[in-house]
Amino acid sequence: MSDHDKVGPTGLTVAESEEIHRNLVQGTQIFGMIAALAHLLAFIYSPWLK
Amino acid sequence: MIYGKMWTVVRPQVGIPMFIAGVAIASFSVHLALTLNTTWVKNFLNGGAAKVAVAAPAAAAEPAKK
Repeated sequence: MSDHDKVGPTGLTVAESEEIHRNLVQGTQIFGMIAALAHLLAFIYSPWLK
Repeated sequence: MIYGKMWTVVRPQVGIPMFIAGVAIASFSVHLALTLNTTWVKNFLNGGAAKVAVAAPAAAAEPAKK
């Protein structure tokens, strides 16, 4: 039994856990990029920090 | 990937909503604090800047009318 097939207390294997984590990290990165863009627009078009 | 194995220990049904709720609460708190503790957000949302920009030329033009 390889390390990737090992089942943890939640019933997920290491491979499944890493897949979920990859998606969560990617989602966080996309959210972060949209938030950064929104802050850039707010900085340009509002009196914020001026 | 760092912390990639955490979902073998934390149930995703619990951990992911907690993570998203944490981000949402932190973000909401910062924006609420901004609206409550500054004046410029309220002025900006009320269109205060636009009113000043429109009022300025009118005020400048007023003496010329007399």
